[in-house]
Amino acid sequence: MNDQPIIEVTNLDVERSNSMVIEHATFTVNRGDYVGIVGPNGGGKTTLLLALLNIIPHTQGAIRFFNQDLTTFSQWDRIAYVSQDATNFDPQFPLTVEELVGLGRLNRTTIGRRLHQADRDAVSEALRFMGISDLSHKRIGELSGGQKQRVFVAKALVRNPEILILDEPIAGIDASMLEGFYKKLSDLNAQKGITILLVSHDLTAVFCRMSKVICVNREVNIESITKDTDPNKLLKKAYGEHFHFVFHEHTCQGVFNHA
Amino acid sequence: MHELVIDVLQLLGYQFFQHALLGGIVAAVACTGIGLFLILRKEAMIADGISHTAFGGIALGLLLGVYPLITALFVSILAVLGISYLKRKGLAQSDSAIAVMLALGFSTGLIILSLVKGFNVELFSYLFGSILTINQVDLLTVFLLGFTTILFLGLFYKELLAITFDEQSAKLTGIPTGVFTLGFNLLVATTIVLSIKIIGIILVVALIVLPGLTALQLRRSFRQTLFASFGFGGVSVFLGIFLSAWFDVAASGVIVILAVVFFIIVALYRRLR
Repeated sequence: MNDQPIIEVTNLDVERSNSMVIEHATFTVNRGDYVGIVGPNGGGKTTLLLALLNIIPHTQGAIRFFNQDLTTFSQWDRIAYVSQDATNFDPQFPLTVEELVGLGRLNRTTIGRRLHQADRDAVSEALRFMGISDLSHKRIGELSGGQKQRVFVAKALVRNPEILILDEPIAGIDASMLEGFYKKLSDLNAQKGITILLVSHDLTAVFCRMSKVICVNREVNIESITKDTDPNKLLKKAYGEHFHFVFHEHTCQGVFNHA
Repeated sequence: MHELVIDVLQLLGYQFFQHALLGGIVAAVACTGIGLFLILRKEAMIADGISHTAFGGIALGLLLGVYPLITALFVSILAVLGISYLKRKGLAQSDSAIAVMLALGFSTGLIILSLVKGFNVELFSYLFGSILTINQVDLLTVFLLGFTTILFLGLFYKELLAITFDEQSAKLTGIPTGVFTLGFNLLVATTIVLSIKIIGIILVVALIVLPGLTALQLRRSFRQTLFASFGFGGVSVFLGIFLSAWFDVAASGVIVILAVVFFIIVALYRRLR
């Protein structure tokens, strides 16, 4: 991890259906950060991501990726995004895992041309990294929830992104698969140096595994996570004064032992 | 058996039959390719809407003395753009927008028909298809439009697949989704118009939907499903033309019945496995 900023948000306002969802958000994400985005339902976590990705417009403020303003930014190949409803597809859709992950290689330069051997190699590598090579010829409608999530992360990884943005990726993953999934994300962050932003309601995972946390509930607060961090001080800002997250020095022990 | 072979060879020797086979196969490939994407986009009824709208174009062409497929193509493209406009502006949902265009095109055709008598027989061939009577101009039109569609699908099927599966995600990867969606919708209009002489306005939706639906029952990869739908569509048309010539019955009817039979057989096979 270093202090090279790759996402800079300044005084950002975002409205949806004429009501303010994000107000005066200012934060910076550095290269190599592993950021958990938390907050109550309807607090604006997904809206924040969609605004960052220019899928919805912002009403005020500035967003910069890699020192370039969003209005002129075009290097979307460097960013991969898995939406919260990515896995809610028609199970009858005739796609194999390999074909779906291959779609992740598409960009402006691949329009109208066949995928090359390098593209196929990248697909194999992404499947291997996510531990799902054996599923490559399986239809996506036949996968379990955990397998689907891994496939969509592989689809994102196949672009070799520098930033990976995941919106509630653990929905549908059972407890036995969860550990392995987080392990893969930690490996991506530590081994490949990919900056990860992950929306999650799993506060234990956020405070035990990630390097920064962004709390969103209209207001946006960011803080680095260290062993001295008091999660409740931060979480109360988003969840309200009555919220209490039971967290003590041993909370993360089991998590790290399994990781 | 020997007589059958001789009869088939004799049929193949006729120019009208060669035209029918060539035009039919090109139309089948174009229809089934477009059809599979329409099914997966859950927009199969747009084919029915556009084909009925094309009726107005055919009537207009006959009225003006212009080659009717040209006016049908023009009206169909207007209808596609109209449906897109109504959806984009939030004036109507997809099915309602299709219904509006269908009603507008068909009623225009009916008014023209009632005003000008005398071309009902010719109109009948457009309504129900007349594959065994297609001339060289028809064949050239089918080839031109068919190969445009096939070329577009061949070049851009990855992008269309990405947009069909998840438009937002495709947009983020840098694919100009609006341009491709417009291009695809124009091809829907093109494909329907090229198929009018082959299978007719009324039944064209069957050739667009049934082979893809049959192929989807096989539960294979996208590529295999696409080729299987080409296969089901091509064989339905190929056999349909032979059987219609053999039994002297309407080709479009036989083609559709065969496509339905393939669907039932494959669906039963899936259930029994």
